[in-house]
Amino acid sequence: MDLKGLTIKKFSEGLKKKEFSTEEGVNAFIKTIEEKNSELNAFLKFDLEVHKERALEKAKELDKTIAAGKPVGKLAGVGLGIKDVILIEGTRATASSKILEKYTASYDATVIRKLKDADALFLGKTNLDEFAMGSSTENSAFGVTKNPYDTNLVAGGSSGGSAAAVASDMVLGALGSDTGGSIRQPAAFCGVVGLKPTYGAVSRYGLMAMASSLDQIGPFGKTVEDAAILFSKIAGNDPYDATSYAIDYKNITEPDFKEIKNLTIGVPDEYFVEGLEKEVGDEIHRVIEELKSQGFKFKKISLPHTKYALSCYYIVQPAEVSTNLSRFDGIRYGTREKAKNLLELYKKDKSEGFGPESKHRIILGTFVLSSGYYDAYYNKAQRVRALIKQDFDEAFKDVDVVLTPVTPTLPFKIGEKTMDPLQMYLSDIFTVPANLAGIPGISIPVKGRVGKLPVGFQLMAPRWREADILGIGMYYERN
Amino acid sequence: MTPINKANIEYLAGLARIELKDAEKEKLLGDLTNILNHFEELKEVDTKNVEPMTGGTLLTNIERKDEIDTERLGKGKSGFPETKKGYLKVPPVFED
Repeated sequence: MDLKGLTIKKFSEGLKKKEFSTEEGVNAFIKTIEEKNSELNAFLKFDLEVHKERALEKAKELDKTIAAGKPVGKLAGVGLGIKDVILIEGTRATASSKILEKYTASYDATVIRKLKDADALFLGKTNLDEFAMGSSTENSAFGVTKNPYDTNLVAGGSSGGSAAAVASDMVLGALGSDTGGSIRQPAAFCGVVGLKPTYGAVSRYGLMAMASSLDQIGPFGKTVEDAAILFSKIAGNDPYDATSYAIDYKNITEPDFKEIKNLTIGVPDEYFVEGLEKEVGDEIHRVIEELKSQGFKFKKISLPHTKYALSCYYIVQPAEVSTNLSRFDGIRYGTREKAKNLLELYKKDKSEGFGPESKHRIILGTFVLSSGYYDAYYNKAQRVRALIKQDFDEAFKDVDVVLTPVTPTLPFKIGEKTMDPLQMYLSDIFTVPANLAGIPGISIPVKGRVGKLPVGFQLMAPRWREADILGIGMYYERN
Repeated sequence: MTPINKANIEYLAGLARIELKDAEKEKLLGDLTNILNHFEELKEVDTKNVEPMTGGTLLTNIERKDEIDTERLGKGKSGFPETKKGYLKVPPVFED
């Protein structure tokens, strides 16, 4: 069975026509992971065997159900990779951090329950920047994930493992989390589709909290349609996440293209600035020209506070990180160092368990929240955040969707930015605004880059309007 | 003026319960100075009449019944590194 370019949609059709069994499918995923993972490091080694056995067992059950002529879930046999900040009961959940190296999840995240209900299979947990903080997966305590297009390059981050796993056909889709671009940026670098849903569209119960006012779980797929299929299965209200909403996403996988063609697309000047690599900018303009020629209406818009989004983000985010990561103190999860009293235990565990970037953000977050600096930094950033949201609110009075680049550059070299955090942070410049405003954003690969490194373009929409960006995306990939 | 120096990095690390090696302090000092300088651009933004945005939600209450979920009850305990009589055991809070 050939997994190259195989989508969820085609897999499900093939399964229905009995072209292959789910067991054959699982074996193909496992074989590809065995062939490619030692080079790419997309999947973490922990409990990989357990996931494999569980997937095989479930596949055999599904094949029996199918043979008996009984119905199976919409994602029957679909092999997925799960970013290792999302809990799967009874298996390791490390966040790619030494502090959680021995932690085993005691329950399923809501998204995992939902995917299990749809009969999806999990092939393993994917690598990430420690606690999802980073833009290259280089902050993982368990080695960098390499870009399937060129192994000297980063896969992006923080969900680099999920993006690389999908791009290299190890799985049909994956889940990631996006706090400032952690789904969209690696999707762009690896040439796959990545969706950050509206804040509140997907339950975060069972996602390790990093920056709670920004975090969202979202899907990766080889196509926009696959991302829509996965999104439709994980979205919805959950009593265990009081920030989640019940929104009607009916028909999101089958858009009415007549309505989609009537949408107006805005292009903000502020995203075409110094620092945007020429090749990336040219490709975004090529997408705009193509969509124009297909009849989409375009309008120039302004999002005047875009310039300040990065500073705003890197105050708000570390502030929330310093609060959320305080729970990893050696008391409740996994490892515990020997210590004579509680304070010594905290210090030993945190100092040895957290990597450099986590320590950096905890200290920065503690600083911006500390008395005397709270108003100058944190409070100021929260006000600027309100203005960034207001920019989008204004723009969406005029246009339905906003089109921008995802990243300012092509995928960069491993090691190129590790010594200078500010340079690394600048790779998030076009993705953080959507998180600050709470709106959905998607990264879609630019077509026709055969033999070249992938480039992604981003579509953003008002809250709960995932249907519009997915719809335009599906139109673009089909025409 | 940079508001950060080696002494307050040590103070902040103490608040965060992290012990830093000298080399880590030096690196952090350089990196944080750079980043805080970058944040200076926020001073250009007029936020006089702007209310801070304190979260990602739409600020409406979402409620549920306060009921015990017996299916999940107690599951979190499986990850405890040390227990005594079913309770989480911690080292002494105060020294002898």
